[in-house]
Amino acid sequence: MEQVLSALFEIASFGAIVVLVVLGLGIIASMMGIFNFAQGEFVLLGAYVTYVVHAAGLPVWLGMVAAPFAVGALGFVLERTVVRRFYAAPIVAMLGTYALGLIIREIVRGLIGGLYISVPEPIGGSINIGNMHFSTWRFMIIIITALVMVGSYLLLAKTRFGLKIRASLENPGLARASGISTPAIYGATFAFGAALAGLAGALVVPVFSLFADLGIRFLIQGFVAVMVGGVGSFAGPVAGAGLIGVLSAALPWVIAPVAADILVFVLAIVFVKFRPQGLIAGKGI
Amino acid sequence: MTHHDHLMSRRRFLGNFAFTAGAIATGTGSWVINADWANAADGPIKVGIATDLTGPIAYSGNSDANVARMVVKQINDAGGILGRPLQLFIEDTASNESVAVGNVRKLIQRDKVDVVVGGITSSMRNAIKDVIVARGKTLYIYPQLYEGKECTANLFCTGPTPAQQCDELIPWLVKNGGKKFALPSANYVWPHVLNEYARKVIEANGGEVVFEEYYPLDQIDFSATVNRVISNKVDVVFNTIIPPGVGPFFKQLYEAGFLKNGGRLSCVYYDENALSINQANEIEGLASCLDYFKALDKSDPVSAKIQAEYDKMFPGTFQFTAGSAATGTYRALKLWEAAVKEAGKLDRVGVAAALDHAKIAEGPGGPAEMVPGKRHCKMNMYTAVAKGGAYEIVARSAGLVDPKEC
Repeated sequence: MEQVLSALFEIASFGAIVVLVVLGLGIIASMMGIFNFAQGEFVLLGAYVTYVVHAAGLPVWLGMVAAPFAVGALGFVLERTVVRRFYAAPIVAMLGTYALGLIIREIVRGLIGGLYISVPEPIGGSINIGNMHFSTWRFMIIIITALVMVGSYLLLAKTRFGLKIRASLENPGLARASGISTPAIYGATFAFGAALAGLAGALVVPVFSLFADLGIRFLIQGFVAVMVGGVGSFAGPVAGAGLIGVLSAALPWVIAPVAADILVFVLAIVFVKFRPQGLIAGKGI
Repeated sequence: MTHHDHLMSRRRFLGNFAFTAGAIATGTGSWVINADWANAADGPIKVGIATDLTGPIAYSGNSDANVARMVVKQINDAGGILGRPLQLFIEDTASNESVAVGNVRKLIQRDKVDVVVGGITSSMRNAIKDVIVARGKTLYIYPQLYEGKECTANLFCTGPTPAQQCDELIPWLVKNGGKKFALPSANYVWPHVLNEYARKVIEANGGEVVFEEYYPLDQIDFSATVNRVISNKVDVVFNTIIPPGVGPFFKQLYEAGFLKNGGRLSCVYYDENALSINQANEIEGLASCLDYFKALDKSDPVSAKIQAEYDKMFPGTFQFTAGSAATGTYRALKLWEAAVKEAGKLDRVGVAAALDHAKIAEGPGGPAEMVPGKRHCKMNMYTAVAKGGAYEIVARSAGLVDPKEC
């Protein structure tokens, strides 16, 4: 019983981490039709901002608050200067954002000397119930992920801004004719997706430590999640991320970890073969 | 802006971008460092360094290159070798075997170096050794701790082997940790071969291996493994998981109460660089066994002097540590210097014959000597334990430890 409970907790916490990381990627992919290969590096930047704030002697939570704003701002600038030129050519957009990611990653590698650096969690330790130990910070991540998910959903589904985003996605021409400035909406959406990645990086850096390849680690998983979940909606990538995260954390409990790693991808490919539209098909929320 | 203009500007942008990327990719990565005096009749002796100056393990490669700069400068300041100055050629192996082969070929064919020191990972050594030793007909010295079994002629190893890292450490772990060992490992050659040897030593000392398990190199969630460690009441986690996985793994072990319940962590590549991966309390008591620790500067004046010289020449992020092959690079160059002096010439046969039994009286961690016929190096080994974010030496080998290779 105890073992089952701790297994469920660990699996849920890793699932939450993957959802958190994929959220921004999914929003940009679904709402803008751009596969942002620099998303992993936005996660890395969020982690880096948190580290810098901590290294300056300020509390870690302050860095976690600052990270989404800093990364969102950078996302906004990059959308204005670079990404915007690629909307007509999604393949070129992949290469372009990959290049951006590469530049960001190597700059951060230089800044941290290629080392692995630990960043403490704002609330450390573990919650002990009997013989079971639950990491406090992982518990916090589950809660924050749930809050961010609900918040993002409300933003997209219930606000005027969300309506404009969806309008620009479904019919850009009509949206423009109705007086919506689609370039401004795209800029804001990209910045929002980047900010979510920044937040994800800030929250997970105490768990994984800061290193230049932090983002890459999640990029492949993120794309598989979007593919499995289905592009076009908000719920699709989130559902896909939950599934991939839970699978990759749960399989090592039952089979050899090396086989589990491969099996996650095999299952994803088989799933997409039989349901190419993904878990949740269609556009919208 | 017309559609046509738009296309043109994108093409131009991509063209410029490709040019810049190409310039960044090829423009850097080669250094030639001449001696202040280069007027000897025979010209300088050429030393080649091939190491990972860029890529994920660049922090190691840059330390190794720095050590080479330091040792070559010291030798030149002391009059060079055989009255000739040393000229240092440094090439980047870029943590990428195909790039490395090209760059090492430059050292051999263009620069015609007399010796190559370098390579950090075993896959890198395997990729470049043929270029150097077989086709290049040049001497090669590999400086990193590794899994052993490299017995190629004209290839000498100056880093610790599994025997050197396990023979002293594992009995200590059984005494100071317990008998039940877990061997969680990254899935590549070094952990597989090291574990094979470690298992023998564990069992010979009355311990048992509860589980030995391999993980993908980029796995970063170890909840299932941690659960196995806790539920099997493992005493010692003898870890060969590498970054990035090792940080989250140790953290999850700590959060699950492994250390609080008296568990002992051990990891034989852990040096001063690795201390920053986790917060100090998460790895309290971790035991490592290497040929050198910074903590030796309190008891060994020679090590303290080398460390101080390095820190003075290269203040900054790239530390002089054993795990990054910096101490192995130091030994490699000094042993080679001794061999060239004995041989009195630079031809490969003569130098290799002298290097086969070369000795140095002073080095980081103490003296070192090659085991004749084995092309591996005997050295002192130290067991150290992490306490509050630094190492404390808890045991020293009685003398030079045999590598037991070839």
